[in-house]
Amino acid sequence: MPPRGSRGPLRPLLLAWALVACVARASEITFELPDNAKQCFYEEIAQGTKCTLEFQVITGGHYDVDCRLEDPDGVVLYKEMKKQYDSFTFTASRNGTYKFCFSNEFSTFTHKTVYFDFQVGEDPPLFPSENRVTALTQMESACVSIHEALKSVIDYQTHFRLREAQGRSRAEDLNTRVAYWSIGEAIILLVVSIGQVFLLKSFFSDKRTTTTRVGS
Amino acid sequence: LALYFHIGEREEKCIIEDTPSDTLVVGNYKVQRWDIHKHDFLESAPGLGMFVTVTSPSGEVILSKLYGPQGTFSFTSYLSGEHIICFQSNSTRFAVIAGSRLRIHLDIRVGEHFLDESAVQAKDKVNEVHVRLQHLIEQIHHVTKEQDYEREREEKFRKTSEETNSNILWWAIVQTLILISVGIWQIKSLRDFFISKKLV
Repeated sequence: MPPRGSRGPLRPLLLAWALVACVARASEITFELPDNAKQCFYEEIAQGTKCTLEFQVITGGHYDVDCRLEDPDGVVLYKEMKKQYDSFTFTASRNGTYKFCFSNEFSTFTHKTVYFDFQVGEDPPLFPSENRVTALTQMESACVSIHEALKSVIDYQTHFRLREAQGRSRAEDLNTRVAYWSIGEAIILLVVSIGQVFLLKSFFSDKRTTTTRVGS
Repeated sequence: LALYFHIGEREEKCIIEDTPSDTLVVGNYKVQRWDIHKHDFLESAPGLGMFVTVTSPSGEVILSKLYGPQGTFSFTSYLSGEHIICFQSNSTRFAVIAGSRLRIHLDIRVGEHFLDESAVQAKDKVNEVHVRLQHLIEQIHHVTKEQDYEREREEKFRKTSEETNSNILWWAIVQTLILISVGIWQIKSLRDFFISKKLV
């Protein structure tokens, strides 16, 4: 990766750009949530920013998790139990640290892999209109529409990848379960049948002579 | 660096990144330590570092370095699959100190999203569009790589399903055969037994 130093005279411009760009952030993290665990994430949001929280459970158990989103005052904005996938949009009513938690406390021994995507603010415009004298040229509008289309393609791809991972996880679970249960059944079958015969034989093996005929 | 979460002092926290091969992943982090006296997280804790370990899908460790309290790490994925990025502080203090926690700020970027901001500020119109086009081309490459990765995964999925199918069939046949042969053996064995016992 090329070194990113030596910005020199452009540094204040860069800082200004960074401040503007800071308004829009998207964090997506896939993490493992052990059983009986709760994991919380915090984010500082300015008032009036439109935010979206989206989460999905990829592997583990019944593929569900509890989710809870609270504002800086502790007021619960969103609370759902045992949800597999959901998307929640809200506008920050005040400045402060918002907190959202995923809980796997209802599960006794399954680890869950959870993906979430927390989008804060809208993306900055591709061609900022501060120093603009004319409207966007055709090239620029084409760039903007291609950019929007690609963003949505990448978004769909992410969702598809998650669903596919989930389906594959279920298929692999099924495969393992079928293999183990089949082997187990075959062994039980053998053990029980052979055991039955020996047990029956043992009923008739006492040394006392008996003249009763067993079942005609 | 906005999103943060808390972990224990000696705890290791891992996140998973499912990426196609040949993708650059860049992570920015900042770690702060809880100060019991001030009842707040210190802005910078001297001597506090972070071990960052990245494991590739094949189990091989491709990055394992100690960084300072704030830093950037990056790696390029050679294989496609789930890369596990683990964070652990180099704190040697035992977690006996009550309420001792670490706050980790994290920002991970995968694939494209690399806007060279300094070039964007160029006054030249043509240059600006050129830069945007480069960015778009990068995005398209990322989409293509993801699609190739998707094809690999679908193949794996299909193999697993077919394996399950043949497993079920094979084991059902084996169990039926066991059932029949053991049944025959049971009857024969009991018949011989009763004949030898002069009960029949």
